[in-house]
Amino acid sequence: MDMVSLNIIGGILVSICRDMGVTLMRTSYSTIFSESLDFTCGLALPTGELIATGDFCPSMIGGMPLLLRSCVTEISVDELEEGDVILHNDPYRGGLHTPEHTFFKPIFVDGKLLAFAVAIGHVCEVGGMAPAGFAGEATEVFHEGLRVPPVKIKKAGKDVDDVWRLLLANVRTPRYNYGDFRALIASIDLGERRLADVVRKHGIASFEEHVHALMDYSERRMRAEIEKIPDGRYVFEDYMEDDGIEDRAYKIRAEVTVSGGDLIVDYHGSSKQAKGPINGTLGVAHGAAFNAILQLTDSTIPKNSGCFRPIRVLAPPGSMVNVNFPGPSVGGNTETHCRIANVVMGALSGALKERAAATDGASHSNFLFGGTDLKTGEFFCCYDLTPVGWGGRANADGNDAVGGINGNCPHIPVEVFEYRFPFHMEEFRLVDGSGGNGTFRGGLALSKTVRCTDTPMTFSYMSDRQKIAPWGIHGGHAGAKAELFINRAGSGEWLTITQAFNKVSPSKFANVPLQPGDRLKISSPAGGGWGPPEARDRARVKDDLLDGFITAEQAADVYGLAAV
Amino acid sequence: MKFAPNRMYVEAYHKCANCGLLLYEKPAKAGPSMLVRNGTIYCSEWCITWEAERTQRLRAEAVSAA
Repeated sequence: MDMVSLNIIGGILVSICRDMGVTLMRTSYSTIFSESLDFTCGLALPTGELIATGDFCPSMIGGMPLLLRSCVTEISVDELEEGDVILHNDPYRGGLHTPEHTFFKPIFVDGKLLAFAVAIGHVCEVGGMAPAGFAGEATEVFHEGLRVPPVKIKKAGKDVDDVWRLLLANVRTPRYNYGDFRALIASIDLGERRLADVVRKHGIASFEEHVHALMDYSERRMRAEIEKIPDGRYVFEDYMEDDGIEDRAYKIRAEVTVSGGDLIVDYHGSSKQAKGPINGTLGVAHGAAFNAILQLTDSTIPKNSGCFRPIRVLAPPGSMVNVNFPGPSVGGNTETHCRIANVVMGALSGALKERAAATDGASHSNFLFGGTDLKTGEFFCCYDLTPVGWGGRANADGNDAVGGINGNCPHIPVEVFEYRFPFHMEEFRLVDGSGGNGTFRGGLALSKTVRCTDTPMTFSYMSDRQKIAPWGIHGGHAGAKAELFINRAGSGEWLTITQAFNKVSPSKFANVPLQPGDRLKISSPAGGGWGPPEARDRARVKDDLLDGFITAEQAADVYGLAAV
Repeated sequence: MKFAPNRMYVEAYHKCANCGLLLYEKPAKAGPSMLVRNGTIYCSEWCITWEAERTQRLRAEAVSAA
């Protein structure tokens, strides 16, 4: 097979996945899809092997193969008909956490099942104990919303009305969920049509030959990348600061073994699963390992199941990286995914010094709120996340204020946020001096202050890095920690949530009341620095000082720069 | 994963003790087998061997550290 046609077919498949994503973005109702792009679209074989994906949410890309495996293991191919749509969000069957809803559609050509179109989206409201999903004080999956094993939501092209009624009766925002589900289905409908067109044009045999060759090609490329890493065993560990229930830290440990073109990520030695909702599912453990390895290897390797073949992931059941039923896991796919991925990269940072970065802020400062709209009487919800600073690299500073490593999710634009929800954004800025000092400094954190305008509501929070700072590497310093403060209307005080509401954790809690006039100040964590600060180019230090990216004290005390 | 006889609900989640993979009792499609060694469930001989070697290595490291 020639490389030209292989690249053309590969490019077409990725293009279909991207078009699926754009369809989802443009037709969805909730800002988590239309603005924050918290979804991924892909194409897979009937065996469950991923053949292409769009470059949307990295955590879902690596998690997709396990989700597909559950579906094809539980639903026989013989039971599938043209026009079926299967829905699945079960965290214990390959899922990532309850908000992540996966829609599958079988693609038939001339009566033969050839593939699945797949769309995974983070649905904002899923029921459970807190509006918008992230109940920071959940202690079991039943607090985290409705769990859906693989079920048909459409059968032979027609809605299964009973399933729709059941799903929409269990959420606070049924109209929005209905719209978002339709958007997810529109996405896979498009994928089905486009792929069927491609297969009809090139023929079934040619299509199958090309996709298998494409996966083999990805496998070869990934093995070649792994072979560049010296054989050996590499270990790294980091901590989640608490679980929202108990004030103690939880260890994430990765031991990465490299042997030729094979790589094994073994999480043995990580803490037992937590009572609170920071546990990762097996899908998260796989997704985070794949995410880390994709960050460290050639970004042009086609992302399909082939490139995952050389990587084996070992996640002990009942641990922080493989929660057992009925343990909670809603924070596992945001906060803990970041920690796991960075621990894997940290393990390989010595062997891949030129490629591995210091950690990013590695927390999404997930801000969830909901209440009743004063004009319409309809319940509203929002899942808002805050960008972080990324870690310094061997040849550049970390990026300032961008989406965390697992999500690639943009912030909701201020204008959209204020138009859609009863808040006024009083401040939105980079945090001066927050990036970890280094030869290449960490990216700056972002801070925003929001004021509740006229609608009483409740808010919840799922975050980390308020107690344990993001680490620097190779002599670089840690980045600044995250912060969250509340200022009650009429009060001059800014308090932490622990101070104001006696919550165990300042970063993970559920259902705190918010009244008109109350203000919140949310600051994300910054990136760690790379290399010793004293080795930083003097011109860069001066530029940073003039730009306000570092303080005069930092310039003098850390970088040894005399007054400019 | 063990389903009720009518397949309406899950009775038990079986996972490989080493890699954590969910193992299905009666899968619709052929999947990893369920091996039982000393009362513990594994998905493959590879996982049994890996776990045994890791345990041995950690024991040796603990002894040498002491």
